[in-house]
Amino acid sequence: MVRWSADRGLQARMLLTMFLLAAVYLIFINVIMAMGVGIQGVVLIMGIFLFIQYFYSDKIALASVGARIVSESEAPELHELVGRLCAIAGLPKPRIAVVRTDIPNAFATGRSQSSSVVAVTTGLLRRLDKSELEAVLAHELSHIKNRDVAVMTIASFLSTVASVIVQNIFFLGDRRDRESGSLVAVWLVSLIVWIVSFILIRALSRYREFSADRGAAIITGRPSALVSALMKISGTMARIPREDLRRVEGMNAFFIIPTGAIANLLSTHPPIEARIAALERLEREIL
Amino acid sequence: MGFLDFLLGSTRLPQPRSERLFAIATARITLEAKLGLKPTGSAAICVKPLESSAYERTRAEIEDLLKLGSREAGTAYRLENDSYGYLWVVLKDPDFEDLVSGIHMVARSLTDSGLGQQLLCAVYPFSDGYKVYWIFSFKLGAYYPFVPSGASGRDGALELRLRSVMAEELPIEKDVERWYPIWEMPL
Repeated sequence: MVRWSADRGLQARMLLTMFLLAAVYLIFINVIMAMGVGIQGVVLIMGIFLFIQYFYSDKIALASVGARIVSESEAPELHELVGRLCAIAGLPKPRIAVVRTDIPNAFATGRSQSSSVVAVTTGLLRRLDKSELEAVLAHELSHIKNRDVAVMTIASFLSTVASVIVQNIFFLGDRRDRESGSLVAVWLVSLIVWIVSFILIRALSRYREFSADRGAAIITGRPSALVSALMKISGTMARIPREDLRRVEGMNAFFIIPTGAIANLLSTHPPIEARIAALERLEREIL
Repeated sequence: MGFLDFLLGSTRLPQPRSERLFAIATARITLEAKLGLKPTGSAAICVKPLESSAYERTRAEIEDLLKLGSREAGTAYRLENDSYGYLWVVLKDPDFEDLVSGIHMVARSLTDSGLGQQLLCAVYPFSDGYKVYWIFSFKLGAYYPFVPSGASGRDGALELRLRSVMAEELPIEKDVERWYPIWEMPL
């Protein structure tokens, strides 16, 4: 039986990402200062942004997708499900939000375990059955349990600052700066910072999804429920045909679809395939 | 598929691949141990009809072989045509290995007579209250699960779960778009 354990791989990656990001930004700040911007100004601006981001990131995230916090009386089943999963995972029960959209999705946000929010879309609620919904919620709770939401929030903020500078720098500064070419240098450094942090965040982001999938499988004990949820969300379940083999054989449709390497080349096998493969390995471990 | 096939289009039909047919014999143990699915004591092979003397001759040949088999291994058999005009050879035997070798024998004798193209699939039903069919497509050279639910629905979630549990022991078709169901099997 597979048991919950602190995911050392994820922890190490989160630390490494934060460390590398910090290094990148220290260099960034140094370069800006070398350009003549005062240290007090830089620290103050960064500090204010970080403060806002850290304390309001959940509200910003929820507001940006139009999520609405639902009370226990509004969505009793959802609350009951989350409450039960939190008891298994040893988490305080987060607030629950619903987004009115047909796109099936879910996310978790919040800077700490106690201030978290789990949001689901109405499209998700409509498509998934109870065990699949349970698996998706367990996946989001695993993000909270692994505390990777806060890391991602801070990491994304720094990347956002760099991207804002890259995109708006030529509207800033006066004529003298523009002519001296120092703005170009700042722009170049910001661009590099943006790209490096983007890559770092992406790498961490992919890994934390695998981690949360694993957590979900352990909380629910049913990796297959998450597999079928992922398949439903990605539309794989709908691709299983309903037409009789003998009928399509008669139409020779069997040979029309390209096989092997070309099919792989044409079709997108995004991380969802890798996630399903990892869950299937876990399913065999658990059984 | 070769590079030229890719450029010019496929020049030939895929040959039947029956070498992986036997995988079900060992997979059956896992199916029972992990999922409680037991063989139902029957299996079938489905053959596309062909209007030719070769087909008639082979059909007679198969019947002779099956008669022999029923005397030696005690495998009962039945030949049946379905509403699509396909020929079904249904075998009944409490011993699962005898079923697998019986199915393989029919497939081989058709292939030897040059009728390998006519082989559609072999079907192994399992049951644990509900029915699970493992369909072996000769063209794909792979198995896939088929779990009917209701009159014309199928339990996709369970089928995907079966894939994940059995992926190491059975050659399973990766592309779920080819998991064609077969309704109203004479099994």
